[in-house]
Amino acid sequence: MRDSQLINTGIPALAVLGGLALAAAQYFIWIYAPVEATMGVLQKIFYFHLPLAWWGLISFFMVFCASLLFLITRRSVMDRLAQAAAETGLLFSGLALATGSLWAKAAWNTWWTWDPRLSTTLIMWFIYAGYLVLRQSIDNPQKMRALSAVLGIVAFLNVPLVFLSARMWRSIHPAVFGSGGGGLEPEMMTAVMVSIAAWGLLTAAILLFRVRQLHIKDRIKTLYVF
Amino acid sequence: MGPLLNIRFLCLTHKDLKLILADGSGIVQPVLLGLILVFVFSLSTPIGDEVSAQAAASVFWLATCFALVLVFNTLYSIEETNQARTGLLLSPMPLQHVWLSKAVTGLILLLLAQFFFFPAIIVFLGQELMTGWWTFLGTVLLVDWGLVAVGSLLGALSQGHAARESLLSVVIFPLLVPLLLAGIRMGAHFFGGADDGHLSAWAGIAFAFGSVFTGAAIILFPFVYNEY
Amino acid sequence: MNNSSHDHDFILRLEGVTHFFDQRLVFKNVNLVVEPGSILLVAGPNGAGKTTLMNIMSGLIPPSAGMVEHRASRDKYAFLGHHTFIYNGLSALDNLRFWSGIYGLRLTEHEHLQLLDMVGLKAFAHEKAGNFSRGMSQRLSLARVLMLKPVLFLLDEPATGLDPASRDLLREVISAGAGDGAAIVWVSHTLKEDLDMADRVLLLEGKKQAFYGLARDYRNQLYGTSLEH
Repeated sequence: MRDSQLINTGIPALAVLGGLALAAAQYFIWIYAPVEATMGVLQKIFYFHLPLAWWGLISFFMVFCASLLFLITRRSVMDRLAQAAAETGLLFSGLALATGSLWAKAAWNTWWTWDPRLSTTLIMWFIYAGYLVLRQSIDNPQKMRALSAVLGIVAFLNVPLVFLSARMWRSIHPAVFGSGGGGLEPEMMTAVMVSIAAWGLLTAAILLFRVRQLHIKDRIKTLYVF
Repeated sequence: MGPLLNIRFLCLTHKDLKLILADGSGIVQPVLLGLILVFVFSLSTPIGDEVSAQAAASVFWLATCFALVLVFNTLYSIEETNQARTGLLLSPMPLQHVWLSKAVTGLILLLLAQFFFFPAIIVFLGQELMTGWWTFLGTVLLVDWGLVAVGSLLGALSQGHAARESLLSVVIFPLLVPLLLAGIRMGAHFFGGADDGHLSAWAGIAFAFGSVFTGAAIILFPFVYNEY
Repeated sequence: MNNSSHDHDFILRLEGVTHFFDQRLVFKNVNLVVEPGSILLVAGPNGAGKTTLMNIMSGLIPPSAGMVEHRASRDKYAFLGHHTFIYNGLSALDNLRFWSGIYGLRLTEHEHLQLLDMVGLKAFAHEKAGNFSRGMSQRLSLARVLMLKPVLFLLDEPATGLDPASRDLLREVISAGAGDGAAIVWVSHTLKEDLDMADRVLLLEGKKQAFYGLARDYRNQLYGTSLEH
C-alpha cells in the first residue's frame, strides 16, 4: 500500500511541525501583534476563529474532492478521506461558530447575529452533520459509500448559493471585519497568517491520522475472513 | 429514441400517480401534516395580533418541506415492495428517467398539497394575496422545481432504512436552506406586499438552485439508484 | 472448452470472475459459457454466492475482477428471482402494461391478454396483484418476462414456495424456451429433481467453482462416490 506508507511517515512530521508552528503562532498572537484599541485582549479570539473557519471550509471542500474522486476511481481511501475531512470540518467549523459567538457577544453584545459568513458556516455545519448521520445509518458499506459520495458532492455545490442567500437575507450588510481583512494592521496580518499556516499543518496531520485510523478499523473488521 | 423516451418516463409517472391516488394515504398524510402545522403555528401569536407576512410564508414553505419528505419517501418506497427497483435496473431504460419521472410525480403531488396549504394560511394566519395569481403561481412553481429536484435525487437515499423519514429530513432540510430563504422572501412579498427590492434576485437564487440540482441529479442519480 | 469452433456461438461468457463483498471474498475464478438452447444448473450451499453470480450474469452488478461478455442485448434477458417485481396495487394487466412500456414495447391490449392467457391468469386480468397467491404472482412475473421474447432466462430459485401446478407450468415454459433456442441458467434448491433437465452443472462451494461440466458427469460423480460409501 503506497498510500499507507506515505501516510505513516507524513503524520508524525506534520504533527510535530504543526505543534511547533502553533507554539510560534502564540508568540505572534500575544506578543508581536498589538492589542486592539476598542476590543482589547478579546480581539485575540480572531486569531483562532479565522484559521478554524478557513480550514473548516477547506475540509468541506476536501469532502467534495474526495467524493468526486471516489465515484470516479472507486478507491476506498478516497471514501475514508471524505469521512475524515467531514469530521474535521465539522469540528473546526463548530469551534469557529463558538469563537464567533464569543466575538459577537463582546463586539456587538449579542450571541448570534445574522452575519452571512456565520450563517453560511452554521448551515454547512448542519449539512455535514447530516452527511455523517447518513454514513452512520446505512448498513451496506458499498451502498453507504456511493450515497455519501453523492451527498458530499451536492453539499458543496450548495455553498455559493447558501452564502449568496445568507448575504441577501439581510440587505443591510454589516461591515464586520471590513472586506478581506483590509482594516488590519500589518503586525496583526502577520499573526493571522502564521496562525493560518500553523492550523493548516495541524489539519493535515489530523486528517491523515483519521484516514489511517479508518483504514485500520476496516482491516480489523475484515480480519476474521483472511 | 425521442418518442420512446416520453413513453417510458410517462409510464412511471402514470403508474405512480395511479398507485398513490388509489391508495390515498400517500397524499392525505402530507396534506394533513401541513394543515396541522399551519393550525398549530396560528397559536404562536396572541389572539387579535397579526401574523407577519414573512412568518406566514415561512410556515407555508415549512409545511411544503414536510410534505416533500413524505411524498418522496412514498414515491421511492413504491419500488421497494417486491423489489421492483431491480426490475427497473434490469430494464434498458436510462436511470435518469426514473429521476425525472419521480420529480414530475412529486411536483404534481406537492402542488396538490400546496393547494390545501394556501387557503389554510389565508384563513388561520389572516393573510391575503396582494399580487396577481399568475406571478404567485409562477413563483411557487419556480421554488417547487428546486424542491423536487433535490427530493427526487435524495429520496431514494434513505430507502431500506428503518427511520427513513427522519433520516431524509436531516439530510434534505439543511440543503434546502437557500431555496427556502428565497421562497420565504418572495412569499412575504406576495402576502405582505412589501418589496425589499431583491425580488428578482431571490428569483435568481431559486432558479440557480433548481438548475444546479437538476444538473447534479442528471449526473449523480444513477449512483444513488444503481447501488444494489 | 476444447472445441473452439463453437466459441462464437454463445450468449454469455464469464471468465475468471471473482467477487468481493466489502473485502470479503464471495467466490473466485468462475468460468462458464452459456450457449443457446442449453440449460445450466447452478448449485451450492446457502451463502455460496449463487444469487450474487446471477446478479453478475444479469449485469446488475459488475464483478470485482474478471470479465463478463454479453453477446445478446440485455433487454432480452428474462430475470426471474424470488422477488416478483410486481406492484401489488396494480391489476395484473396494468402490471404487464407498465413493464412493456418500460421496455419500450408497444404491445396491444390483445397481446397483453394473450400473455396472461399463457400463464393461466386471463380470468384475473383486472384483479389487483396484491390479492394474488405466491404462485399467481410468480406466474404474472413469468408473463412479464415472456413478453421480452427472451434469449436467456436467469432463474434464481423461482420455484420456491410455489404450488405444484405453478411449478409444472414453470418447467413447461422453461422447456419450451430451451426448445426455441433460449438458454437457461437455473439456481435450484432441489438439485436431484432438476438434474435431469440440465445440460450442465456449476457447483459453487468453498468460495470457488467446485464443479463445472456436463450434468451427466456430475450425476456420475455424485452417485459414483455415494455408492462407494
